[in-house]
Amino acid sequence: MAHADERQTEDVAQDEESELEAHLQTKRMMINLGPSHPAMHGTVRMKVELEGETIIHADPEIGFLHRGFQKSCENVTWNQCLPYTDRLNYVSAIMNNLGFLKAVEKLVGVEIPERAQYIRVAASELHRMHDHLTCVGAIGLELGGFSAFLYAIEGREQIMDRVSELTGARLTTSFGRVGGLNRDLPEGWIDRVGKTLDKIHELLGEVDGLLTNNRIFVDRMRGTGVITAQDALDFGFTGPCLRANGIGYDVRKARPYWVYDRMDFDVPVGQNGDNYDRYLMRMEELKQSEKIVRQSLREIPPGPIIVDDWRIALPPKAEVYGTIEGVISHFKLVMEGVPVPPGEVYDCTEAANGELGWYLVSDGSGRPYKVHVRAPGFAILSGVHRMIEGKMLADLIPTFDTINMIGGEVEQ
Amino acid sequence: MSESDGKKPTGDAQPPRPGAPTTHPAAEAGPSPGNPPPAAKPPPPPPGKPAPKHPGFVTVTVDGKELVAKPGANMVDAVKKVGSEIPYYCYHPRLSIAANCRMCLVEVNNSPKLVPACQTSMTEGMVIQTRSARVQESQRAVMEFLLLSHPVDCSICDQAGECKLQDYYQRYDFRPSRLEGEKLMKSKRKVLGPTVVLDQERCILCTRCVRFMTEVAKEPQLGVFGRGSAELIDTFPGKELTSNYSGNTVDICPVGALLNRDFRFRARSWFLSAAPSVCTGCSRGCNTFVDFMGQDTYRYRPRENEAINKSWMCDQGRLSYKSLNQNRLAVAMLGRGEDRREAAVPEALKSVAEQFKALAGTEGLAVLASPLASNEDLLAALAFARDALGVRSVYAGGRADGAGDHYLMTPDKNPNRRGLEWVARGLELSLKPFAELTERIAGGTVKALYAIGGEVPTDPAVAAEAFGRLEYFVLQASNESPVTQQAHVLLPAAVHVEDEGTFTNLDGITQRFRRAYPPRADSKAHWAWAVHLAQEFGFPWIQTSARDVFREWGPRVVELASFDWDGAAPPLKVTRGLNPIATGADGRPPGYRELGVPRVRGI
Repeated sequence: MAHADERQTEDVAQDEESELEAHLQTKRMMINLGPSHPAMHGTVRMKVELEGETIIHADPEIGFLHRGFQKSCENVTWNQCLPYTDRLNYVSAIMNNLGFLKAVEKLVGVEIPERAQYIRVAASELHRMHDHLTCVGAIGLELGGFSAFLYAIEGREQIMDRVSELTGARLTTSFGRVGGLNRDLPEGWIDRVGKTLDKIHELLGEVDGLLTNNRIFVDRMRGTGVITAQDALDFGFTGPCLRANGIGYDVRKARPYWVYDRMDFDVPVGQNGDNYDRYLMRMEELKQSEKIVRQSLREIPPGPIIVDDWRIALPPKAEVYGTIEGVISHFKLVMEGVPVPPGEVYDCTEAANGELGWYLVSDGSGRPYKVHVRAPGFAILSGVHRMIEGKMLADLIPTFDTINMIGGEVEQ
Repeated sequence: MSESDGKKPTGDAQPPRPGAPTTHPAAEAGPSPGNPPPAAKPPPPPPGKPAPKHPGFVTVTVDGKELVAKPGANMVDAVKKVGSEIPYYCYHPRLSIAANCRMCLVEVNNSPKLVPACQTSMTEGMVIQTRSARVQESQRAVMEFLLLSHPVDCSICDQAGECKLQDYYQRYDFRPSRLEGEKLMKSKRKVLGPTVVLDQERCILCTRCVRFMTEVAKEPQLGVFGRGSAELIDTFPGKELTSNYSGNTVDICPVGALLNRDFRFRARSWFLSAAPSVCTGCSRGCNTFVDFMGQDTYRYRPRENEAINKSWMCDQGRLSYKSLNQNRLAVAMLGRGEDRREAAVPEALKSVAEQFKALAGTEGLAVLASPLASNEDLLAALAFARDALGVRSVYAGGRADGAGDHYLMTPDKNPNRRGLEWVARGLELSLKPFAELTERIAGGTVKALYAIGGEVPTDPAVAAEAFGRLEYFVLQASNESPVTQQAHVLLPAAVHVEDEGTFTNLDGITQRFRRAYPPRADSKAHWAWAVHLAQEFGFPWIQTSARDVFREWGPRVVELASFDWDGAAPPLKVTRGLNPIATGADGRPPGYRELGVPRVRGI
């Protein structure tokens, strides 16, 4: 026994000696970022292989937020899918709601009233600002600029107040119904939005001043997380991440929907495809969205907010309580859902992160036969390794910020 | 069963025009593999009319599509072949034509006015339009008219969810009410008889119920009274709707006017799921749908079967679902009288196997089989009785004979009497009457009994007294009764809707039924108990489903050997409840209401 102990101690001594004598060398190291990490938006795990501080290999692993969104939709009526869509990109829930409704309406073949179109545009753009403010603020936060974050969140909070006045919810809005909207603008809302936009304009100036020309910030952002235009196209990038590469694809311009063709706005385009350009895209889009919100609320016409067709929209409450026609329609719509004709459709809108596409199949019943969502974040996340491999570990954080991955929509 | 209650596709419709090709015998029988239309001798074309495009058939154009139909085929049914749909209320394929609801009006090329599709016979070259602007306007107008005095009742109406008014309003009208003033008031709850209650305000006077009672049930107890807006359905003065078939009027009522008093206000139709099954009320074997929610059956509805029950079933059968819910045994019991206690399944099985091993092969051990059990139950249980218990005869239990009637209901109240006879013969067991069993128990020759099913053809109290003399009594039963009080071992049995299987009706027709929901608590199908007991005996039986059981022993029974067990299964058109329960809410997978409420602590 004693003999064995001796030999063991000898071995250990030898090992220690050899370790001490070994040349300084870098060993490849695997580290996990996430799934629970403040810089991992949502719950995503990034398996990173490092040599020193250089990223050799990066592999984003998703699925921690998977909720079976697409399958769940098959069990509920078309309108009941809305609360599920809230939870896709939960930073701009209204855009998911309305994008889904637009696809359903295309399948039904119904044109929604003009007022509803204006409100949809205004609400979407408000939430685009909400999304971009969050993104920009988070970039600042994670690169050490906490003040910029507070300014951005202050603006975001103002939008949340306006959204909760409009929809009744701060985050999970479930706004709109097939054929139009479930509620009209609240009293005095347009004025309050104007004031909010003024305030946000002011706050954006602060953020701009704090970040855009900040040496520390620019050094971390410029030239990092670069992707070539060809790669971006190949991976299916859309939205600000694609436009940062100089490709001016925007669904609002390429295939205008609702009243976007009447709106006076520009689509900002970058040229380098790096983090800094992606940041600039969002800053500029914030200003363009502000323009759109102001214009749409200025030009909004009076009129109905939902189609007057009892096969699609619920009858007015007085009719439901007082007439058999109303109560039948209400029953059928609530219990069986909007009878969407059999067929399939692909339709898309420009969401905050890019093209939010819906592939819907109906078998003619009141429930979807199949719902598939093309989440913009999914395509972008699948190209993230191309942006950071061979770069430093510290570049991963701003890169992950500027692609603005949202767990809810990527993992569905 | 009367012969003349079948389909009357023409009814009081216009007689075929002279010279129309309906007179040809082959044409009347229609196209079928066994009856090809004669090619050599086409019927002579009527003078001045075009020769039929397809001799022996009528060729018409429906919404631009060519339809080749049997002469005499009803337009409402025929147009479905080319994907068109004609709405209707008063038309029913098994009743005469009334053409009073006007919902099926269509446009045809040889009439200036719209014609009722149910009443108009199709002629060669006719051009039918079911969705033209005129037709759509007519459908909308009819719907508006029918809803004019309809009460605002959907929220309290049993028919909501399966109501033709709702379906057609949403499809053909979908416009607001234009009614100014009051709706017409009539009797809201007119009790017509023991089974049926009528809401005269909801009635659209299609007269389906009146025609059914006259033509099918042959008990004309309903009539139309009054004229104009005072017109209503009622029984004749001083009379009641007492027919054993009155429940069918509720089924065929297209709106919520006629309601079943048993089902009334008990469930919303969209929460109910349905499984195809067979009625166990008598030996007719009427095909049914079992409407269920959780692990409770709420009603039976007749399922169409041309050979047996057409579209109908009797009221007694309809109410026989109650035994599936009431007085059910859920857990195994050991001991009799004051010694009785609940037991876990393995303990009960072990105790039975120990006792039976000592008794097997002795004269004192008898077996009682119920003709309420399915063929699979009987196959496994009787195979166990023969191979393990060593008996050479079984006694037949089951319900006592009752009254039959003039149409579907038979005096024999057991759904599988013929199956029991077949299975016993196939397994080389002789079948003895129940009276002999009680005699032999009284005489002391039978001391122990293994009973499959607790139903007895005598007064249960009398039978229970006889069974009280038994020294050892193992009973597999689904419902509590005086007989179950006498068992030394009581094994809870599943009922037919809780498992798959087959019944053989009195005409020797073997029919598959499907499972609606799983058995309650510890209860198992008879075959499952038998297989478990055999395993305790050390037999290498591995059957885990009724299908396995049928494959193992079915071929031993001559009459069942050629039965295609899988092929005979009714299509699984389980209509699910509309609001599926979310995953994990109570342990069921999402969308599967039919798996029942789990019997776990805390829920």
